Amino acid sequence: MGALELFSEDELKDEIIRISKTLYDRSLITALGGNISARLPGAREFWITPSQVFKGALKADDLIKLNLDGEVVEGLLKPSIEWPTHAAIYKVRPDINAVVHAHNPMVLGLTLAGKKLKTTITDEAVILLRRVEEVEFRFPGTTYLAEAIAEAASRGARAIILKNHGVLGLGTNLLEAEAIVELLESIATIEFICYTLGKEPAEIPLEEIEVAKKYWGL
Amino acid sequence: MKCYRGKMVYIDLTNEKAEERRIPGEYLLDFIGGSGLAARIIFDLVDPKIDPLSPENALIFMTGPLTGTIMPTGARFTVTAKSPLTRGWGEAHAGGFWGVELKKAGYDGVVVVGKADHPTYIYIHDGEIELGDASNLWGMDSYQADVELKRLLGEDVRSAIIGPAGERCVSMAGILFDIRPDGPRVAGRCGMGAVMGSKKLKAIAVKGSDKISVEDPARLREYLRRILPSIMSFPTTQLYAVYGTTAEVAPLYIYGDFPIKNFSLGVWNGVKNLEAEVVAKRVVKGHRACFNCPIGCWRYIECEVNGEKVIGRAIEYESLGSLGSLLMIDDPAKVAKLHQVCNKFGVDVISVGVTIAWLIEAYEKSLIDKEKLEGFEPRWGDYRFVEKMIELISLKKGIGELLSKGVREASKAIKGSESFAMHSKGLEIPMHDPRAFKGMGLQYATSNRGACHLYGFVLRVEQGERVTDLGIHERVHRFDFKGKGRVVAIMQDWSEVIESMGFCKFLQVSPGHVASIYSLSIGRKFTVRDLHAKGAAIFNLKRMFNLACGMSGKDDNLPDRLLKERLSDGGAAGHVVELDQMLKEYYDYRGWNKDGYPRRETLEKLGLLKLLMESGFETYRELLDKIH
Repeated sequence: MGALELFSEDELKDEIIRISKTLYDRSLITALGGNISARLPGAREFWITPSQVFKGALKADDLIKLNLDGEVVEGLLKPSIEWPTHAAIYKVRPDINAVVHAHNPMVLGLTLAGKKLKTTITDEAVILLRRVEEVEFRFPGTTYLAEAIAEAASRGARAIILKNHGVLGLGTNLLEAEAIVELLESIATIEFICYTLGKEPAEIPLEEIEVAKKYWGL
Repeated sequence: MKCYRGKMVYIDLTNEKAEERRIPGEYLLDFIGGSGLAARIIFDLVDPKIDPLSPENALIFMTGPLTGTIMPTGARFTVTAKSPLTRGWGEAHAGGFWGVELKKAGYDGVVVVGKADHPTYIYIHDGEIELGDASNLWGMDSYQADVELKRLLGEDVRSAIIGPAGERCVSMAGILFDIRPDGPRVAGRCGMGAVMGSKKLKAIAVKGSDKISVEDPARLREYLRRILPSIMSFPTTQLYAVYGTTAEVAPLYIYGDFPIKNFSLGVWNGVKNLEAEVVAKRVVKGHRACFNCPIGCWRYIECEVNGEKVIGRAIEYESLGSLGSLLMIDDPAKVAKLHQVCNKFGVDVISVGVTIAWLIEAYEKSLIDKEKLEGFEPRWGDYRFVEKMIELISLKKGIGELLSKGVREASKAIKGSESFAMHSKGLEIPMHDPRAFKGMGLQYATSNRGACHLYGFVLRVEQGERVTDLGIHERVHRFDFKGKGRVVAIMQDWSEVIESMGFCKFLQVSPGHVASIYSLSIGRKFTVRDLHAKGAAIFNLKRMFNLACGMSGKDDNLPDRLLKERLSDGGAAGHVVELDQMLKEYYDYRGWNKDGYPRRETLEKLGLLKLLMESGFETYRELLDKIH
């Protein structure tokens, strides 16, 4: 329970707001798009961003605390319509304490063009992303989407690409979830450059990946 | 709870008594306001057994907690009474300015009981209540009466007025608000104007100067400022701003939803003349908005028909149907003219149009003797005939006497015509054909006030809208009937919340936001689930009123035309409404028995059982005895 005492909920909320602004400034979400949630490690309740409010300038007071059944525990604004997805992930993944959902244009562009994202083109990607899953289009905000994502998450995914929609970064903390989302965009950009130059992105040699996997226990 | 005034005006016209009454806090918390609060008050005051036109009926005007606040579109209010048209729960709604003014004058609502011995008006201004002699106004059409009332009390009062139809207790008479300069807004449905007329009450004028505050104004303002831009970007909101409700004609016609020739045709070229852009070019000269409304769906009409001017609010989606396509009239100027005639006499455009369409069809099928029509020859597309019929209905003259009772009663008198008398529970069907959206059929059949398009407006879900805040995550197909029971019940219960709040359903505020807005206004926290549960309780309380009035599951019905006749073409060709299958699912979901009575445990869960057991009226206890 040490981690519960190490961080406060106020710090979580401030961090959610910082990340939301960063994602907006980086064009990874639009003015009303995306959503972020986080919980104190192991908690049965989580804080989430509000629905239909400008994501570039959220305030701590805007955030809503929900339990895993989606009931409002604290806060007055309407929670993001994607709360079922966040709750579903926390239910199946006790190791995950933060979920960042963004609409990464490069990742979506490549995916929709039929290019499968290569996650072994940088060492950072190998270490951080580990397992990337793809989920077919389901209507946002529905339990159908939440169920499909929970299934992907239960297979150990840390990054999930939602076709025709966006990406999800699942982290043990907010910084990790944020980094996963940014890294997805970063490798997609690198791969886009390769494809633009008419080349297939070269991956890290297999034996190096094997070494990394062994070393890190991935 | 600053957003409420906590008081209502109580007027007993028999004894010429007017007083202020406090509204108990638990009534406000449990029944919200508007329609819900009115249902609670009717439960206290009106024995379901009474004749709707007797002095014992109570006519209630009720605003909601958000009426008159900074909430955009916070202009709505409800008028309720036992309905002379359905002989059950009666209710109609309006926007404009009257409700806001009433609240500014210090009251959430007005309750009128008894019957005056001479024509009377009520004047409520800043905490003062006066009864006045309206003999001069009696007999005037609504427009003239508005002029005269304002000559008496000042141009700046807001008025609620009945026309000649209300004076004569025509079952489809409505109440008109804010008639001049741009109006009127009309609480048209269920014959609320007839109840007002039965009390010899011609008008209620209001004037107030207070401001309506809320518990946390700074935070509510901030919240509204931040969510409004995204709410205003909703497609139908923007379409309504540009075209008003006329925007719906073209898209809904493609679905086969826009009814033609008394719901008997699926395709008609005349519809293209009733589409929004044509209407805009032909008759619309501007738009107006209700109090604090950023949409402004209210079309301002100026046109001429055969040398006669039409000015003001005289066209809506509903009248383009009921006075247009339903009667095969394809000229928007003529529709506007007929709409204005309805406004002058003070009758509901939907009920009138449906009843006249039935008459024409019955005549065409040789079911009506020519002598009964005193020389008039009913013909499709003949607007002069329709105009004359509106007058006869409103004045209860000739054939109008029969028609004035509504299409259900009229069709009972004409053998063989009931299958195409388009009503449910006696309320004429609005301009959405449920063969195009089957959930609408279930909605019509089960709505407490009879065929009602507003409580649920489930066709939006059937068009593909998902209401995830309320647990509707699935894509609902319009022609499916499985699964509709649950969806209709959910949407009806949420509509009870909206109609109780006092803002307009045209502002597409999702349920989650409504919970937040209400919480900030009232100073207590309510979740969507809390509010939805209140909506279910309100719906069931109205249901119990209907059952106590003598209705049963048998009244959850639709005319045979919709159940058995298939349209041969158009967007709903080949379909009927599978009502029985949907009803079973609906009753099960609601916790009602197979006869449509809420089970005891359902009433208990909704918090209504104790209330019903302790009712001052024996009628409710007798009803409970029937429910095991």
